[in-house]
Amino acid sequence: MQFDWMKIPYALLTLFIVVNFGMILTALVAKIAARVGRRRGIRIWQNYADLFKNYGLRSSITHGAMFYLGPVFRLTGGIGLLLFVPTIYGSYVFSNLSFAGDLILALYFIFFGTLGMALGAAESGHPHAAIGVSRGLSQVTTAELPLALAVFSVALQYHTLSVTAIVAAQQGGIEHWTLFTNPFAVAAAMLAFLGSMMRPPFDVVSAPQEIPIGPPTEYHSSYLAMMQTNRAIFPIAKIVVYMNLFFGGAASWPVFCLKVFLIYMVSVFIGVVFPRFRVEQSIRWFLIWALPLGVLAIVLV
Amino acid sequence: MIHLAMATGFLLILIGFYGAVSNRNILRMIVAFTIADSGVNLVIVAIGYMPGRTAPILDATVKAGYAAARIIDPVPQALVLTAIVIGVGVTALMLAYAYKLYEKKRSLDIAKFTELRG
Amino acid sequence: MLSPLYLVAAALAASFTLGLLNPKRSGAAYAITLVTLAFMAWVPAGWLWGFMAEGAQPVEIYTAGALPPYAINLRMGLAEAAMTLLITLTGLLSALYLKESLIKLGHRGMAVLMVALMAFCGIVLTRDLFNLFVFFELAAISTAGLILLSEDERALSAGFKYLIVSQLVSTFLLIGILFAYHASGTLNLDTMASARLPHGSAPSFALAFFLMFIALVTELKPFPANGWALDIYESAHPAYSALFSAAAATASLYAVDKLLLVGGPGWYPMATGIGITTFLAANLFALPQGNDRRLLGYSSLAQIGLILVVLGQRDLLGEGTPFIAFGLLVSHAVAKAGLYWLSGLVGGRSLTDWAALRGRPLLVFAFISFVAMLTSLPPFPGFYAKWELVRVLAGEGRLALLALILIGALVEAGYLFRWFGYMLKREAPAEAVNGEPHQVVPVYVAVLAGWVLGYFWGELSGVGLGHHNLLLSLPLAFALGFLLLDWLPAWVKNTLAITGMVAFFFLTYAEYDPLRLIFALIFLIGGAITLLASYDAHGRRIGFYPAAMLMYAGMVMLVRANDSFEFFAAWELLTLGSYFLILRGKHSEPHALSYILFSLGGAFLILAGFALAAGGAAQFPITALGQVAPAVAPWVFLLLATGFMTKTAAIGLHIWLPGAHAEAETDVSPMVSGILLKAGLFGLFVLLMAMGKQRLYGVELTHVLLWVAAFTALLGNLMAVFQEDAKRLLAYSSIGQMGYALFGLALMNHLGWLMALMFVINHYIYKSMLFLSVGGVAKRTGTREMYRMGGLIRLMPLSFIAVLIGIIAISGVPPLSGFGGRWIFYNAILASDYRLPMVILFLAGPVAFLYLFRLIHSIFLGQLKDELRRVKEAPFWIALPQMLYVGLLLAFALAPGLALRRVDTYLNLFFPEGGLHWEGFEITSDYGYWNPVAIMIVVAVIFVSLFAWLLFVNRRAQKVKQFNIVFSAERPFRPETTHFAWNFFAPYRKALGFLVQPYATTFWGALTDFLHTAGDLARRLYDGNGQSYALHFLAFVVIVFGVGV
Repeated sequence: MQFDWMKIPYALLTLFIVVNFGMILTALVAKIAARVGRRRGIRIWQNYADLFKNYGLRSSITHGAMFYLGPVFRLTGGIGLLLFVPTIYGSYVFSNLSFAGDLILALYFIFFGTLGMALGAAESGHPHAAIGVSRGLSQVTTAELPLALAVFSVALQYHTLSVTAIVAAQQGGIEHWTLFTNPFAVAAAMLAFLGSMMRPPFDVVSAPQEIPIGPPTEYHSSYLAMMQTNRAIFPIAKIVVYMNLFFGGAASWPVFCLKVFLIYMVSVFIGVVFPRFRVEQSIRWFLIWALPLGVLAIVLV
Repeated sequence: MIHLAMATGFLLILIGFYGAVSNRNILRMIVAFTIADSGVNLVIVAIGYMPGRTAPILDATVKAGYAAARIIDPVPQALVLTAIVIGVGVTALMLAYAYKLYEKKRSLDIAKFTELRG
Repeated sequence: MLSPLYLVAAALAASFTLGLLNPKRSGAAYAITLVTLAFMAWVPAGWLWGFMAEGAQPVEIYTAGALPPYAINLRMGLAEAAMTLLITLTGLLSALYLKESLIKLGHRGMAVLMVALMAFCGIVLTRDLFNLFVFFELAAISTAGLILLSEDERALSAGFKYLIVSQLVSTFLLIGILFAYHASGTLNLDTMASARLPHGSAPSFALAFFLMFIALVTELKPFPANGWALDIYESAHPAYSALFSAAAATASLYAVDKLLLVGGPGWYPMATGIGITTFLAANLFALPQGNDRRLLGYSSLAQIGLILVVLGQRDLLGEGTPFIAFGLLVSHAVAKAGLYWLSGLVGGRSLTDWAALRGRPLLVFAFISFVAMLTSLPPFPGFYAKWELVRVLAGEGRLALLALILIGALVEAGYLFRWFGYMLKREAPAEAVNGEPHQVVPVYVAVLAGWVLGYFWGELSGVGLGHHNLLLSLPLAFALGFLLLDWLPAWVKNTLAITGMVAFFFLTYAEYDPLRLIFALIFLIGGAITLLASYDAHGRRIGFYPAAMLMYAGMVMLVRANDSFEFFAAWELLTLGSYFLILRGKHSEPHALSYILFSLGGAFLILAGFALAAGGAAQFPITALGQVAPAVAPWVFLLLATGFMTKTAAIGLHIWLPGAHAEAETDVSPMVSGILLKAGLFGLFVLLMAMGKQRLYGVELTHVLLWVAAFTALLGNLMAVFQEDAKRLLAYSSIGQMGYALFGLALMNHLGWLMALMFVINHYIYKSMLFLSVGGVAKRTGTREMYRMGGLIRLMPLSFIAVLIGIIAISGVPPLSGFGGRWIFYNAILASDYRLPMVILFLAGPVAFLYLFRLIHSIFLGQLKDELRRVKEAPFWIALPQMLYVGLLLAFALAPGLALRRVDTYLNLFFPEGGLHWEGFEITSDYGYWNPVAIMIVVAVIFVSLFAWLLFVNRRAQKVKQFNIVFSAERPFRPETTHFAWNFFAPYRKALGFLVQPYATTFWGALTDFLHTAGDLARRLYDGNGQSYALHFLAFVVIVFGVGV
């Protein structure tokens, strides 16, 4: 196997674009959410300011090796997820490092950062961190289930696990998108999407008023900066997977930006309208509402 | 005649069995078994009896040459002797037990010797 | 060869001589007795040697100068020689054992003993019915006499009850004999048998025969006419009980056998019916017994009932009857005599009092040898007999009888192994066992005899049925060799064990196909790596190595087995070995019991399955499973699969696993979890390779397996989530993991099997590693409750690394090897016909994160407790294998092809479609692709770059103290209230806790309770009253007559 070294600068380019896009997008989303509440919201470049501030902070402590590595795991997870999936369909430059593995790699790599982060947070010894992890893991068991079923359904539908091949199969018009060819799978996956975006009604993990921001509670300065970087990348990387699987992928950056924004907005719309679920409530909700859709998706495909 | 003997024998056996299971006194039980034993012996003799023949003793009236056709079957009679001897032995042993049991509990009630059970 | 008449003559002569002797010279009398008994044993021994080695022919011994039927004749044949030897040897050893009480009793007691033995021999030898009656009466009188001389006062009433019943019996017998004589004109058994044809159908002869038969059968203590026998067993001197159980039963059995030959096949069903009823009832009643001797008594009744069944199946077993009947009989006689002798060494009469034996390893070994003999485990004669019996019964379609036998045998194993557990685990009484040499020697002789007989039966089975003698197989011999080496220090034995296992692998590795090679690697090399941890143990570690090596030997033999016999023998050996291993844990007594019961239950299913498949054939190669007739094939599949699934702890059959794995010793848990569980998977592999898909009533059985597997995975994982005990958590996790592996197998496609194999390898590595880490932690902290720990990462970094790597691997997160399993899984389910079971499995996947996080968090992260501040890293020898496993896991993550590629090709034999393509580092399937090396490099590069960046920007970070955190506006100071660990997933329990209600445990608990209660209620039948026993006998006669006619 011959490795093309140019893939590295290309991948970094993708990363660069996505980081900046993510910074602005999350700020924009925050602003929109604020406007819904009749507030002005943050400035659009606020994320950059926070990032620079946090990297610049001098006070810095550590609770131990695992605590130190937590943000590294977290950001590795975000970047890895982004790079294991082709970003722009048909582009060699933005196919990233997807030669390493297929859709399953992406699906399981989502947990890499989560797990490492949870371990790091736990070493801080802060009970809120542990409580947050307990909640997050509990919720994820059923929240991921519809997505797994949807992915299974899509793979059955297209007879492949290669993301590129799945996108290729959806080309040629909007009616070829999985959204229309396999609506139950998409519906199930989008409900799972709500559960993974840390927005209401599924944000009990970091519940700011109750267990101040949950797992990352002890993280500060450059740790926090790394995690903020991840917060810009990770949702986008996840949405890229959704976009590729269900919404026809993107053949160019403008389409990419539009689709990512719109998919992101789904969770924002729901989030500003609904109050927060407790853990057992959201578990039941996923089992009662999302699971049947997923089952239908694999049965009917 | 032969049927009467056999019926009597079986009746004795039944009486003996009934007595053995209905009397709680150990000595009475032993007596009951002796009655049953007698019944058994009677039955055995009755089995060996053949009408119109004589006792299986070779003497002047019964010549050895014709004996097979003239005497009754000697085997049960021989066996009954053994059975009687054995019966005596068993009865003696049971009496020895009765003695020892009485020594132990000063009672001959079989229902009092039930410490082993289950 | 001396005339058998000497048996009678010597006993009588010696008895009369004793009578002439001065009563004060008890010592001399005792010497005469011993010499006489030795002589009596010598006579049949010579004959047996003659028959076996010199090919002598059976002889008739005539008496009174006339030929039968006019005079009594005796016969000495092979069976007679063996039985009289058994009787006289038991008598000799019992007399030895009885030294003190015989000398105290004086010459009368000795004379009675000799007469009793003579009577037993006479019963065996005689061919004359009336003579049989006489010997029986002699036996009864002398037995009652012996009881009369017992020390226990309660024995008096028992003896009298015995006399009451024997009076009734002799009445029936005598009348029966005389009527039979009347009907057939002869008292000679042989002429009566040949005269049977004209008379056999005559009602008078049938009635006479019934009377004789019922009387003789009553001597075998059939249910319910056996209360008197139990009382004797319980109260008589144990040496008498040994005689009563071994010698008297042998004689009576042979008498019944002789009579049955006269009666002919028409009477066989009656014998079978009485036998099986007794077998079941006695085993059931034994269950609630607390008194050791009474329990042994019940067990005796059961065993003899079983042999009666064998005699009743003579029409099927034919020529094989003696092999089976004798196999069971000698096992019973040797073991029961040995156990009764042992019971004389134990002070208390409660089962738990046997813990006193614990200080004497040789006696413990004797005890377990006897238990293994009674439960027909290899390599004892009963094992070969059981195999043969089941083979024939299944071959001829007597399945109901077969099922009843196996159920009864399982109940019997239940109370015997429970007892063994008491002995090893309960608190030992203050008074130790101080067996005099003359009391201990008989026990040892019995043990030795048991093993020799085991060898002998192996040879017989080899000659007659072409089986391999188990004791000659190298792995088993190696394992048993450790019994002789147990005096060596543990480290020497450990080195020997490791060397042996590795050497055996290198000697044989060329013989395995790729699939078996993987299993052989795990069993032998994997076992050797795990054994490294055993260097940590000090002292001699008595009993550990024979048990461990027995388990490994069983596993190796399993992989090497070619036919069903070898396979099953290996299965039982590994079960037995692992049972001993598990039992070694401090609190593992109840768990080891439930393990052995589930395992034996599973083994019986396997036995029945193989027997059904073989259809009566003596040799049945494993591969022939594929050619089983379609009518029985699904049933065979069902039996075998269920049997194997008891080992892999499929849901419903899983309840033994958590306790067994959690309570085992530190280095045993990885063996029984990481390695032993694979035996069940191997069995399933073998089964599915040979039989493929099977349909039963239109239901595809592999589809059912798929659902079972999915629920096993889900519920195993869910139950793991709610554990507080770290080792129990890992144990439940194993259930879940085995569910995955089973799921892969049940998918019945190429990648599914590859996935199962991947789980086999992965689970071996990470579960061994995790059990060692957690075991090391538990050793250091003194607890297994995770919430009592916390913050150990700094104190036990190596253990932490092992757990970290382990949980990443189990969770399936790239880049470690667990991901490979998940990737193959997805590809496998895409190729499968079924979809709905996947839903359950998808749910199970993320649940694993919950317990894995909990494991590492509660132990290593969070708050360090004050009392654990001085805890040290795990001992070197426990940490070393963990680090090896870390290396293995990484290697397997990078290059799964090393292990899988050849198997992948091999699986093409079964599923030509859907294999993987291996090109360089890239692995491609029909659906997707995967490049483990690339993943590893990408992840590593990103990780290292970011880490370097963080180090750079964060270079001034200070390490802070433990409580340098603030929450709820307070600074915490107590680790106990700050460490969030107990009931970690409380909300999850609220949401899904209903799924983990212990229904299976409740079900099995209710079943055992029911059996206990039923046994306890029913045994009240034996109310201790002699008259009730007489009525029982009469009722028995009436019932048998009613049913028989």
